[in-house]
Amino acid sequence: MRKIILQLLYCVIVRLFLRIFVGVKFDKAKFLLEEKQFIIVANHNSHLDTLTIMASLPRQIVHKVRPVAAADHFGKTKFKEKLTNYFINALLIQRKRDKDHPENDPIYRMVHALDEGYSLLLFPEGTRGEPEVQQRLKPGVSYVLLQRPQVKYVPAYMKGMGKAMPKDDNLIVPFTSSLTYGQATLIQSNDSTEILQQIEQDLNRLK
Amino acid sequence: MYALQKIFRLDFIDNNDILFVILLIFGILIFASTLFFIVGLIKPHAKLGELKARTNSWWVMASLFIGATILNHTLAYIAIGLLSFVAFRELYSVLDFRASDRRAIFWAFVAIPIQYYLAYIGWYGAYIIFIPVAMFLFLPLRLVLKGNTEGIIQSMSTLQWVLMLTVFGISHMAYLLSLPEIPGFSAGGRGLLLFLVFLTEINDVMQFTWGKLFGKHKIIPKVSPNKTWEGFIGGVFSTTVFGYFLAFLTPLSTYQVLLVSFALAVSGFVGDIVMSSVKRDIGVKDMGSSIPGHGGILDRIDSLSYTAPVFFHLVYYIAY
Repeated sequence: MRKIILQLLYCVIVRLFLRIFVGVKFDKAKFLLEEKQFIIVANHNSHLDTLTIMASLPRQIVHKVRPVAAADHFGKTKFKEKLTNYFINALLIQRKRDKDHPENDPIYRMVHALDEGYSLLLFPEGTRGEPEVQQRLKPGVSYVLLQRPQVKYVPAYMKGMGKAMPKDDNLIVPFTSSLTYGQATLIQSNDSTEILQQIEQDLNRLK
Repeated sequence: MYALQKIFRLDFIDNNDILFVILLIFGILIFASTLFFIVGLIKPHAKLGELKARTNSWWVMASLFIGATILNHTLAYIAIGLLSFVAFRELYSVLDFRASDRRAIFWAFVAIPIQYYLAYIGWYGAYIIFIPVAMFLFLPLRLVLKGNTEGIIQSMSTLQWVLMLTVFGISHMAYLLSLPEIPGFSAGGRGLLLFLVFLTEINDVMQFTWGKLFGKHKIIPKVSPNKTWEGFIGGVFSTTVFGYFLAFLTPLSTYQVLLVSFALAVSGFVGDIVMSSVKRDIGVKDMGSSIPGHGGILDRIDSLSYTAPVFFHLVYYIAY
């Protein structure tokens, strides 16, 4: 039931809304079907980012992808948490690491979700920041990739989202924007800094 | 129940004049597709990719336009309004607006359904002043209230210009459908709309074709190196001839229709080079990539944004 709701929501309603009203140009995402599991790594400028990536996914796997979101923002109230969990299928994590309680530790939770068979959607910039300005990537994604090196990451770059709906404004103003996918790639290093550099280069190439 | 019937009335083609022109349009398209197909068979190395893509897009555009405007009266206004919406979004997105302009831009978006509603109910007085007067006065106020004065002149003028070009100009297409009936003129507003769009697009194609075949002397090389006197004169001439033969779609006399077709051809050219100059200023070749072979929506309707108001007001002055 939930699978059908998510498919209807993202592959029909949200996709039509983004394409026709907001003016998002989607890249083809069929190639994701060939991967058993992946981590989508995207730049982050707007609340529309998550919706855009989710709406771009092939219908068959939309319920298998969990966007990773900050618990302090989206889990503020029980109600908000329930909504986010149900309709966005989100994996809520805290921003700080917690090695004493692995059930709270963000890296542990992401790896655990991968082990359960889910794919992840990550915004390693952490926050949405200024429109159209890319920030430094946070290292969390590289720790996850290091622990599960057989999982490929997929860079995704979005342009214009921060103008359609910037951080400080909840009003959506249509703006011609786009989503571009890069290739699914395996990490080529054991060093977290080098992995981050590799991801950052991949993202910049999509600009 | 009556209201529903009024909205969803499918007034199918009961008009021989309009039916004839629709068949003519699809006839031309079939001819072009067959031609490129045969040329492709004879000369497999000829570079027909772009021409084929263009023709295929023409098929889609012609079908959409005819489907939306001829089948149902209400749908026609919504479809043309949607065209304005996409064109407005496409154009303002490539222009450099400040982050603080968002609220004013939002209100400019709100103006689109209002403008088309005014056209729909046929309130000419309000329709004709809504954007040039009401929005012209209101949008700067919204910008001023935001308090960011740096670059505000540019935002005020650019926003109004985009709105005039993509919404006010294009909405003249819709108002053609709201013109009162003239006794003895059966094609009506739909006929006029068909005349306007068909002639504008034929004009684009003719200017392009004449220019490709015989073009030598550049008109305005700094703006658009592909525009030549040969293409311009050939295009204006052919369009006027086409207009003469399509006069049955209008309530105009022979001389009037020649004059109107001539003015339409010239203004189509002007709309084309105005948009070319804008693209040159921003540094892009096409406005977008939504129509294969043509670029964005605006690359296709740039001339319409000029021909629609010119055609409308000439006809309105002469016949109504």
